[in-house]
Amino acid sequence: MTSAPSALVKLSIASAFCALALVPLLAPPFYANLLITFFAYSIALLGLNLLFGYAGLLSFGHAMFLGVGAYGAAVVAGLWGVKPFEAAICAAAAAALVLAVPVGMLCVRFTGIFFGMLTLAFGMLAHAFLFKFYHLTGGDSGMRVPRMSILGMEFAAYNKVEFLAGPFYYYCLALLAVASLLMWRIVHSPFGLSLRSLRDNPQKAEYLGVRVRRFRLAAFCISAIYGAVGGSILALRSGLADPELVYWTHSGHLVFMTVLGGFSSFFGPIIGALAMTLLLDQLQSITQYWRFVLGAVLVAIVIFFPRGLAGIADDAMRAARTTDGGT
Amino acid sequence: MSALVNLLLGGVFHGAVLFLVAGGLQLVFGVQKILNLACGSFYALGAYFGITLVTASLAVGVPGVLLLPELLLAGLIMAAIGPPNERLLRTTYDRDESFQLLLTFALLLMFQDVFRFVWGANPRSLDTGYLVYGKLSAGDLSVPVYNLLVIASALAAAIGIGAFLRRSNYGRLLRATAENRTMAEALGVNVRSVYSVVFTLGTLLGTIGGALVIPTAAASLEMSVDVVIEAFAVVVIGGLGSMAGALVGSLLVGLISAASLVFYPEFEIPAIYLIVIAVLLLRPSGLLGKPAP
Amino acid sequence: MTLLEARGVSKHYGAFRALDDVSLTIGDGEFLAIVGQNGAGKTTLVNLLTGLLAPTRGAVYFKGRNIAGIGPVVLAGRGMARAFQLVQIFPQLTVGETIAVAVVARQGKQWRLFSSLSRDSGVAARVQEIAGRFGLHDRLQAPSRSLSQGEKKLLDVASAFALEPEVILLDEPTSGVSSSEKHGVMKTLIAAAESARVKAVILVEHDMDLVAAYARRVVALSEGRVLADLPPGPFFSDPLIIATVVGKRGVS
Repeated sequence: MTSAPSALVKLSIASAFCALALVPLLAPPFYANLLITFFAYSIALLGLNLLFGYAGLLSFGHAMFLGVGAYGAAVVAGLWGVKPFEAAICAAAAAALVLAVPVGMLCVRFTGIFFGMLTLAFGMLAHAFLFKFYHLTGGDSGMRVPRMSILGMEFAAYNKVEFLAGPFYYYCLALLAVASLLMWRIVHSPFGLSLRSLRDNPQKAEYLGVRVRRFRLAAFCISAIYGAVGGSILALRSGLADPELVYWTHSGHLVFMTVLGGFSSFFGPIIGALAMTLLLDQLQSITQYWRFVLGAVLVAIVIFFPRGLAGIADDAMRAARTTDGGT
Repeated sequence: MSALVNLLLGGVFHGAVLFLVAGGLQLVFGVQKILNLACGSFYALGAYFGITLVTASLAVGVPGVLLLPELLLAGLIMAAIGPPNERLLRTTYDRDESFQLLLTFALLLMFQDVFRFVWGANPRSLDTGYLVYGKLSAGDLSVPVYNLLVIASALAAAIGIGAFLRRSNYGRLLRATAENRTMAEALGVNVRSVYSVVFTLGTLLGTIGGALVIPTAAASLEMSVDVVIEAFAVVVIGGLGSMAGALVGSLLVGLISAASLVFYPEFEIPAIYLIVIAVLLLRPSGLLGKPAP
Repeated sequence: MTLLEARGVSKHYGAFRALDDVSLTIGDGEFLAIVGQNGAGKTTLVNLLTGLLAPTRGAVYFKGRNIAGIGPVVLAGRGMARAFQLVQIFPQLTVGETIAVAVVARQGKQWRLFSSLSRDSGVAARVQEIAGRFGLHDRLQAPSRSLSQGEKKLLDVASAFALEPEVILLDEPTSGVSSSEKHGVMKTLIAAAESARVKAVILVEHDMDLVAAYARRVVALSEGRVLADLPPGPFFSDPLIIATVVGKRGVS
């Protein structure tokens, strides 16, 4: 595997980036606001896919880290009155790590369905925790997340919508770019290779000197941090840290998005997040039975397009190349 | 004292219903190695249709005392949803288990909107109903006979399934397929039809469980998703693939649920899930399950 | 200089004695074959020699340190590699990547999260070198799955060599390889071991032709005990040994 994407992929990324950069300027604020959700989920899913696509561990509890990010932001900004969003992100990442290490150490002793079950169980425990300590976490109603400053600037003159659809939008776009770049390097590093080796043949990996559990734990922790950053963005956007973020079905949705985009591709999760964000928005305005349609989409993906949208794009590009007579 | 007995009976009742759902989940997992998240949907389906059937029959003048048979019938009818679901699932048998899980998750999502469409977004319940069988009273103690009938039915189901799996030829066939599918195929077992039968049986348990619970609880859109969490905990605690484990597990979860209702409601899920985690860490095969490969 | 030593090791499973008081010393420059009928204790001995199991009695020392139960990862770190009878590949990795896993481990780069692997010339050079010794240098980009059975075997062994072990233990390295390819594989192995400066090679083999042709020392196990420990000449001239160990001469 080369460390640099092909020219066509680079071009696609560049054009996508430009298109995204133009959205606040050309489209109504609603779309920019919507795409912030996409940014948040992309970051969270990049983390989930390190665990799923690269290390081969399917977590059904990833949403708990999004919750850590959201409630972390609520605590930092709401309770402690700290303004910078950067502080919220750092606090969220730190909290995610603190949670991920012990939980991860217990979970990575297993793979496959047992790993899934353990992560689901911890996720539900986290969800229950949010309800139990309702005087701290607000229980059912969640915790408020006030506006925060980005890069030291408050943008007080902007109202919330202007802030979200303007400065915060570009901030999140930049965050996504940085997060993607970091993840790209991680995946194509010696660490990434060792991680991939233990996915399909952990026994052989051990004989080649790979401490399988430690690597799985590392992937778990990195995915947790990415999840928390995503959660913080979501919370700032909606102004609320909501316990529903942590319910097990939300973890299911995260997996859904990853598979929709294609979990064996680096960009799959991002494509999945974008597709889901746009799809959901369109569906919810057309019908109140959007869950049905979403379910049907997932059925179609599982049965007909297991490699997801990235796989479809890949096949299309390959077909285009062969009809050109090239390799 | 009577409060304690009431609590125990409440827990056993909850456990009885849970056993039906978890038993269905367990059966399907044991033989097909699929964790069917849509079992919650079957549960809800039985519940909603049970309400419809009973309400309709009361309207046409069918005596209220036929409540239990009607509910059982509702469950039976709804089990027809089993075979088409299984056919859909069949497309993923040869694939990674994560795909199977996702497919059942998709079904769960789709069913939620089916319920919304047919029965609306508000919870539905039976107005009266279960008191038609009266109550059994002893001093301070008073328990609806209906609850006892449900417990008896679940017990009967447990014994019946146990006997079926252990004594009958077909049961033996099922257990053989569960142990080693390839070998069973090599010995001439029609695995496809076995899977279809098992899945439908599992569905039936779920729909009946749902139908039986509605005199005491409302049918709501969240019930399919919420019951999965409990059924899943039962299956893990009892041991994947073990029906006896499902019985023990559902009793345990039912009692915890009843106890926390009285003492400390927010404690229910954490208590259940702490046990799930403990079991997964200390004895992953569950209390009564076979050791994981 | 003694590299690997088993001192009076026994392994009991309840009443069953898989190995009974086996002593073996392997030194620098050895090329040793362990032979015996199925059930004679070869696998148990190998598992003890590679630190996968702890002996019931006695001890196994590698470079002077007791290796009871240390496990594969520590073993690799201490300088011993093992390849199994059943071909082990990483289905999703290419040939180059497979070898790189071991090279990265050996060069201590496993925990480098942000450096580019493909631009690491240290790793790339080693991978090229090792692949070359096994005739795989032109297949580096090929997915491991697409290799022939013989090539997969070579890859499996090549990745073990990439750990730069001092001692390498090969479990039936030519099993599953077609008869026409067997000798080629063995010659490649020997040449690779020599150029990698591996100090000792231990083979577990059923194919007596190969043992006779290439091994410099043959250790025969029978019913958990060492029956013979001889160079191939005397070994194959002893009728008792032939009868007990070999049975019918040739590939089993």
